[in-house]
Amino acid sequence: MSPMIDYVIATFTSPENIGTNPQSLLWLLPLAAAISIGYKATKLSEIKAGSFFKDVVGLFGSIVVFMAITALVLYAITWFATK
Amino acid sequence: MARPRLSKNNHTLILLIVGLLSWLIPGAGFFFLNEKKRAIIIFVTLLLIFGAGLYIGSIGVIDPYGSWPWYIAQVMFSPLVMILGHYVSAGGFPVYGKPAEIGQIYTGIAGLLNLLCIIKSVYLAHLYRIETDGGQNVADD
Repeated sequence: MSPMIDYVIATFTSPENIGTNPQSLLWLLPLAAAISIGYKATKLSEIKAGSFFKDVVGLFGSIVVFMAITALVLYAITWFATK
Repeated sequence: MARPRLSKNNHTLILLIVGLLSWLIPGAGFFFLNEKKRAIIIFVTLLLIFGAGLYIGSIGVIDPYGSWPWYIAQVMFSPLVMILGHYVSAGGFPVYGKPAEIGQIYTGIAGLLNLLCIIKSVYLAHLYRIETDGGQNVADD
């Protein structure tokens, strides 16, 4: 095998370095985008660039906002419970 | 485009083929049904998210024994994951901590999204028959 292929395969055999910090929560964003695109691709009766993009952005926004609200509520509960 | 009238046996066979194609290659069921845009979007999105999961967590996140609930979700992505799982279960692929968590979530969600696509493509294939038959065969089934 060529060194290039070896390198590509090797990148999939060891984990990336991701810490347990608040920034790691940003990994939610690509996943939310994929869920929005995948779900809307199955849901819409006809795929047209404009309406598809609008629907995907709407669903992506609502997932992120809902997650943020959930996080705030959980944070508030923890704060009240531990103060 | 006019679709051929299908007998009940052919219809079941078509549903089975669409389901299997969708499972084998994400989006292939839609491609078979001439829904090419939908098929390409699904294929690219699911492949990216599954590939990202493997890249972040390593292929060790596919663990048929240590984390079988995730494995069930991952297998929904494609039967090829089972081959990968067999290869990985031999050991030697490090997987730990946050990257493992993210990798499992990404690959698991990709599998579950493909399950949604399988169900939707089979349902769409079923609807095409109702459309071509004008709803007459629905009561017969």
